[in-house]
Amino acid sequence: MVGIAVLFLAFFVGYPIVYNIIMSVQHVTLGNIRSFDRPFVGLANYRFLIEDPLFGVVFWNSVIFVAANVGLQFVIGFALALFFRLGFPGASFFRGLIVGCWILPPLVIGAIWKWLLASDNGVINYALKGLGLLDGKIYWLSDPSLALTAVIIANIWFGVPFAMILLAAGLAGIPDDIYEAAALDGAGSFRRFIWITLPMMRATNYAVLTLLTIYTMRAFDLIWTMTHGGPLDSTNIFPLWSYRLSFELFNFGAGAAISATMIVVVFVVALLYVRSVRSESRL
Amino acid sequence: MTGPGTMLALGILKAARPWLLWLIGLFIASLYLFPVYWMLASAFKSPSELFAAPPTLIPHAPTLAAFHWIFERENMYLYMWNSLLIGGSVTALTLVLATGAAYALARVRSIWMDGILVAIMVSQVLPPPLLVTPMFVIFRQLDLVNTQLAVILATTTRTLPFALIMLRTTFAQIPIELEEAARVDGCPRLSAFFRITLPLARVGYIVVGALVFVQAYGEFVYPLSLVNKNHLQPATVGLYGFVGADYADWGNAMAFASVFVLPVVIIFVLLQRRIVSGLTAGALK
Repeated sequence: MVGIAVLFLAFFVGYPIVYNIIMSVQHVTLGNIRSFDRPFVGLANYRFLIEDPLFGVVFWNSVIFVAANVGLQFVIGFALALFFRLGFPGASFFRGLIVGCWILPPLVIGAIWKWLLASDNGVINYALKGLGLLDGKIYWLSDPSLALTAVIIANIWFGVPFAMILLAAGLAGIPDDIYEAAALDGAGSFRRFIWITLPMMRATNYAVLTLLTIYTMRAFDLIWTMTHGGPLDSTNIFPLWSYRLSFELFNFGAGAAISATMIVVVFVVALLYVRSVRSESRL
Repeated sequence: MTGPGTMLALGILKAARPWLLWLIGLFIASLYLFPVYWMLASAFKSPSELFAAPPTLIPHAPTLAAFHWIFERENMYLYMWNSLLIGGSVTALTLVLATGAAYALARVRSIWMDGILVAIMVSQVLPPPLLVTPMFVIFRQLDLVNTQLAVILATTTRTLPFALIMLRTTFAQIPIELEEAARVDGCPRLSAFFRITLPLARVGYIVVGALVFVQAYGEFVYPLSLVNKNHLQPATVGLYGFVGADYADWGNAMAFASVFVLPVVIIFVLLQRRIVSGLTAGALK
């Protein structure tokens, strides 16, 4: 019974991965896309990418994008999870509303944020002006020095609810009597957080951090809607570059080379995640 | 020294604490939901109000003009139909393919099953932008480019691993003794599965089905790249057509987005609690 589903996945996930690696060492154009017999070019596609001046730009954009998203989604998600755990009327209702934002299609999120951040008539510029923080306009999405920050803000907004519910589930797993015992011994709330919450959450934190890393690499839809990778490649990250090479420049070999490399990265992070989750559930 | 005055103040603070927290919670939730509110508010504004300075928080003269426009001029019906068709087909295909495999993964214990499970968990995380290049070439060779079937098959590769993991957990929670008892009473294995196990897994199926549908309904990369005929595109690609340009028609775009997210919002409101617990179970177990 496992057979059919595994065969389906083997053909539609396993095969594309293998095929992708093969394409990354071939010269693939629109002309020979239908044939299986394509010129083998060794590592030329990889060399082409590394020698491209865009490589450094895309590399640093990707690193900043992933690091800022994972770090801030984790910290904000943790803070919200702790806050809603305080147990006050309406806590689970408010938390539920926030989770609702995560289930919206990323494309819609990108569209909304593009409108919020619009330089003319965007409500965020008005709000900043109203608070006296701003005189003129901020060109969030058309200023190359700001666009990456803008898409990071939108993506953090999108990812925080997920971090929050996973961390809340981890927090709910810590037995209350440990806190009570520590409180009796005179430990204040800060010390209880450092000496009880953080150590007890280690396995959850690990799983959440790896998951957030993986999901951040999925941010294609949102960036594509908001900036298309621009202006001047200031929001171009590896998945976007790969897509543009394949579907705008029809250099499928180079697109495949980026995909192949990124798939390896995702695999490594995913294995760390699977290991953390499985060791946790065995406890 | 604490006088009676400070004691009183502390007492009031303690009594007021839940309501103070309630207020902070309300503030955080309102701030968080503001973007979604802004989408709705913008959809009901007239063009002149949309570009009014300063913007109006609540539409002064709400109008349905933008909604009329997207249904009459933008083929909203067709986009929605395509999205629902793709979402529904992916959900059905995913659940059918996942059922047998998830059941076997839950019941059979062997090192092979462990290996397959890890492979499935890893394949769950590959994002479409990284698989779309080989997918496109493969579907081109199969002559399936420009069909919704290609989009459905491609999207199912994303939802199937997720459904397998979640349904496996559901089946694992159903005591095997129930099936064994039925089989002792002469019920064949397959019919024990359909008559005992499957009904008990009903809630799991609803949650997994809902989450799979939401994912498939919001899929963007596969239809964008595998189909280039406008009348076959789902609403994600339609929305992108609105907002992808530098200067978008924001009132109509927000009306389009509001209509598009409606099914997702309905699903979430109906199943909120179960979705939250299902998501956590799926990600951490």
